[in-house]
Amino acid sequence: MSFLRVAAAVARKDLRTELRSRETLPALGQFVVLALLIANFGFDVETGGAKVAPGVLWLTVTFAGLVAFGRTFASERDQASLEPLLLTPASRSAIFAGKALAAALVLVACEVVLVPALGLFFNTPVFSLELAAALVLATIGMAGLGCLFAALAAQTRARDLLLPVLALPLWVPFVVVGGRAVQVALGGGGSLNGALALLLDFDILFVVVASLAAKFVLDD
Amino acid sequence: MTDVASTHVSTLSPARADLFRIAAIVDALLLLAAAALAVFHAPADTVQGVVQKIFYLHVPSAIAAYAAFAVVLAGGLVFLWNESPAADRLARVAAEVGLLFTTVMLVSGSLWARPIWGTYWVWWDPRLVSTLVLWLIYAGYLLVRRIATPGRQAGRFAAVVGIVGFIDVPIVHFSVSWWRTIHPPVETATPEALPPEMLLTLGVSMLAVLLLAAVLVGYRYRVEVLKDRLAAELDR
Amino acid sequence: MKAIEAAGLRQRFGTRTVLGPLDLSLESGDSLAVLGENGSGKTTLLRLLATAARPAGGELRLFGLDATRERTELRRRIGYLGDVAGHYPALSALENLEFFCDLQGVERARAPRLLEQVGLAAVARRRAGQLSRGMAQRLGLARALLHAPELLVLDEPDAGLDEEGRGLLEKLVEGRSLVLATHDRQLAGQLCRHTLDLSQRALEAYQ
Repeated sequence: MSFLRVAAAVARKDLRTELRSRETLPALGQFVVLALLIANFGFDVETGGAKVAPGVLWLTVTFAGLVAFGRTFASERDQASLEPLLLTPASRSAIFAGKALAAALVLVACEVVLVPALGLFFNTPVFSLELAAALVLATIGMAGLGCLFAALAAQTRARDLLLPVLALPLWVPFVVVGGRAVQVALGGGGSLNGALALLLDFDILFVVVASLAAKFVLDD
Repeated sequence: MTDVASTHVSTLSPARADLFRIAAIVDALLLLAAAALAVFHAPADTVQGVVQKIFYLHVPSAIAAYAAFAVVLAGGLVFLWNESPAADRLARVAAEVGLLFTTVMLVSGSLWARPIWGTYWVWWDPRLVSTLVLWLIYAGYLLVRRIATPGRQAGRFAAVVGIVGFIDVPIVHFSVSWWRTIHPPVETATPEALPPEMLLTLGVSMLAVLLLAAVLVGYRYRVEVLKDRLAAELDR
Repeated sequence: MKAIEAAGLRQRFGTRTVLGPLDLSLESGDSLAVLGENGSGKTTLLRLLATAARPAGGELRLFGLDATRERTELRRRIGYLGDVAGHYPALSALENLEFFCDLQGVERARAPRLLEQVGLAAVARRRAGQLSRGMAQRLGLARALLHAPELLVLDEPDAGLDEEGRGLLEKLVEGRSLVLATHDRQLAGQLCRHTLDLSQRALEAYQ
C-alpha cells in the first residue's frame, strides 16, 4: 500500500539521517541531564526527591519534545528539501505520519537516557513497566500534535517562537493524565489502568486529527 | 491612481450602517440596564453575599467566549473547504473577541474565587484549567495569524489551530476532572434554584453581553474589510 | 494537446508584482527557454509551472488540468529541478534517489539506472553532502527524471555543469516537453525551439 510505503520511507530516511549525522540525539541527551542538574538545585531533593521526580520528568520530556519535534521539520527547511518532498504526489498524511513516527522514536530514545538519570539524581526507583508504558503512550500523542505544529511553524518566520506557544497548551491532557500515571508508577496511590487507557484514547484521537490536518499544513 | 477615499470609504449600504449604529446604541442601554439590575434589583445571595453578583458578568462572558470560538471553528472549516476570504476574516475577528471575553471570564472568576474559595486560583477545578488553556490556545491562534504569510497560508494555518484547539479544550476539561476524582473532594458552592429577580438580571445581562460580542465582531469585521480593500487598491 | 496554457498569469509577493500578466502556450513535446536578467521573474514563472507556488491571478492549465486544483496528478507528470537542489546531505546519492522512488511510487530499480544515465554511477555510495556542485546538479536532474515526467521544468540546469554535463543535458531532455530558465543564450538555442525573454528591455521593445 502506498501510504505505508511512503510513511516507512520517510521514517527510515529521518532515522538514518539521525544515526549518521548524530545531531539531535546526543544534544537531547545532554539537554536532559542538564535539565535534571538544574532541577536538582531548584528543588529540595535531599528530603523530597521522590515527590518532585514526576514533575521534573514531565517538564523535561515536554521541553525535549519541543526540541525533537521542532528539529524534524526545521532541518528539512534548512536543507531546502521540504519543497522537493512536497512536490511529489505522495500523500501528505503519509509524509506526516513518517516524520512523526521518526520524531517519536527519537524522543523515546531520549527518555531511555532521562529515566535512569532521574532515578540516579532524585534517589527514586524508576524501573517499572508502568512508567515506561505511560511515557511511551504520552509520547505518541504528543508527537502527533507536536509535529503538526512543527510543520506549521517551520514554514513561517519566527518558527522557534511559535512551536512552544502552540504545542504546550495542547499537550496539557497528556501531561495531566501521564503525570498522574507516573505518580502512581513511582509509588503513589490509585489505579494505573484507567490512566493508561485514557492516554491510549487521547493518542488515537489526536493522531487521527493531526494526520487529517497535516493535509492542510503541508502545502495543498 | 484612483481616489481611494472617495471610491471606497464605505463598505456598507447606508441602511446596514444604520443598523450597526442602532445595535451599538441599544446594546449600550442594555449594558447599563444589566448593571443597574445587578446592583439594585437582584438580591444578594444568602450564602455568598454580594460577591455572587460577579456571576452576572462572568456567565454571559463565558457564553460569549464559547460562541465566538464556535464561530472561529466554523469559519476555519469553511475556509479550508472553499477558501472564502469572508470566512477567514470572520474567524479572525471572532478569535479576538473570544479572547477578550475569555480574559473577562478568567479575571471575574478569580475575583469571585478569592472570597469564596479563599484563593484566586486552584488547579483542581477543570473549568479554571481548561479556560486558561483555552486562553493560551487562542492567543497562539492570533500569534499564528501575525507570523504566517498573510492570505492563504495564514488562513489555513490559523484554521488548523482553531479546529485542533477547539477539540482539545473539552479534553483538557475532562482530563482535569478525571484527575480531580482521585484527589480529596473540595467543597464547591452548588447553585440552587434562582429567584425570579436573579433570573431577570441574568437574562438581561446575557442579552447585553452577547449583543456586545456581536457588535464588536461586526465592527471589527468592517475594519478588516476596509483594510483588505485598501491593500487591494494600493496594489493596483 | 497543449502542455502549458497560461492566460493573464500573475504573481506577486506582498504588494509587489513580480511577474505578468503573462500569456503563454506550449505544445506537448515542445520546448521553451526562459531568458532574462536577475530578478526578471524566471524562477517565479518556473515555480508556478512546477506547481511549487500558486499564482496570484490568471489561469494556468497544464496538460489540460487546472494547476491550482489537480496538483497531485500533475506532480506525477512534471519533473522539477529548482534553483536549490535540496538533497539530503547525510544520505548517499543512491539513497536520495531511492527515497524519491518511494515517494513517487515507482520501483527502486530506477534509481541506479538514472545514476548511470547522469554519469554518477561511480559515486552512487557517496553522501550527497560530499558531492561537488556539478555532481549535485546531476543528482538533481536524475531526481527530476525519476518518474519519467512528460514535462521537465529546469531552473538553470547548467549551473555548475561541465562541458560533458551540458552534452548530457541535451540527451536527457529529449522527447519531453521542456521549460528551462538560463542566462546562456547558446544553451537555450541548443535545447529549445522557443524563447521567452522576461527582461525589461524585451518587454519595452515589445510595447
